Amino acid sequence: MSEIIPDETSPNEASPNKAWGAAARRRWFFEAARQACAGPMPIVAVSLISVGGLARDAGFSIEIAVASTLLIWAGPAQVLFFGAVAAKTAWPVIALSISLSSVRFVPMVVSILPMIRTSRTRLPVLILAAHCVAVTVWAEGMRRLPGVPKEGRMAFFFGFSATCLAGTSLATAAGYALIGQLPGPLAAALLFMTPIYFVATLTRGARQWIDKLALVFGLALAPLTQMYAPAGFDLLALGLIGGTGAWLCARRLEARGRAA
Amino acid sequence: MSGTLDQGLWPWIALICFGFLPSEIWRFLGLFLARGLDERSPWLAWVRAVATALLAGVVGKLLLAPNGALAGLPLWGRLGPLAFGMIVYFAARRSVIAAVLAGEAAIIAAGYWAG
Repeated sequence: MSEIIPDETSPNEASPNKAWGAAARRRWFFEAARQACAGPMPIVAVSLISVGGLARDAGFSIEIAVASTLLIWAGPAQVLFFGAVAAKTAWPVIALSISLSSVRFVPMVVSILPMIRTSRTRLPVLILAAHCVAVTVWAEGMRRLPGVPKEGRMAFFFGFSATCLAGTSLATAAGYALIGQLPGPLAAALLFMTPIYFVATLTRGARQWIDKLALVFGLALAPLTQMYAPAGFDLLALGLIGGTGAWLCARRLEARGRAA
Repeated sequence: MSGTLDQGLWPWIALICFGFLPSEIWRFLGLFLARGLDERSPWLAWVRAVATALLAGVVGKLLLAPNGALAGLPLWGRLGPLAFGMIVYFAARRSVIAAVLAGEAAIIAAGYWAG
């Protein structure tokens, strides 16, 4: 069983020190756009159609609905924002619950940035890259970036992110225009896009024990933390317990593998 | 509500202060914590495991405590299509698209069946 090792020895790259011109970067940008169009972008776009409808229900304009996708770029936080405004929730409570729902970006940004930056990457570019990180971009990036030569990864990342952002913005606008016309089962199908897609794509990306265990622990812990963790902190607790558990188990399995 | 929200800058201020910034601070924190971390640092294995578990937890929560139209389905109507989608995923030699299409077909069927 061969693992893809994320370094400069990837088969795509014969000579890592050859000049990396704008042409090569542009090629990776459009290659990423093509890969995004072949699956991930349509899926994340469809899963955010309902956000447009929620924005309209809450009394916002279509510009705000689309801007929420470009600025917040996190489905659950957008659903929370418009749902809470519609329910006339107090603003500080809205801000706090959105913040709690977005804690997941910390480990995602920490794990993907070292893969795409080089020593010469400037801070504004890093800030923009961090902003583009969302679950789809992260899950697909972790899986696809190891196959891209280091110098092309930033271009690949931005090509992928920009395609997803553009498609999803259009879907948000479409959802704003369409809301209320979908029968119940189809509306449920739109919401179901996120769970089925993430379980499948995380399974696909799980090459090592630690990834598989983290996935299983995360799913299995969901009912427990929902019952026993303080409201709002359940996902944080779940991530730390499930992730650390997977990390410890994988270390033991590896140690046993070496001993055997 | 729409009467006040449609006017002027207030919706933009609300979106930025109560939607964008509370979410974005975590991306900034991640950016700060990632400084100087090497791609092959052993810490990253742990960070990635936490991120994967968190994402799986988000999925679990969406199915166990659903909002909107998904809440109209019984628990079997939400977990069954997920299981069916994953069976098709493996049967179709690890195809994500096949899993999504099969899961979607199953949940639409479950919706009409239960509704």
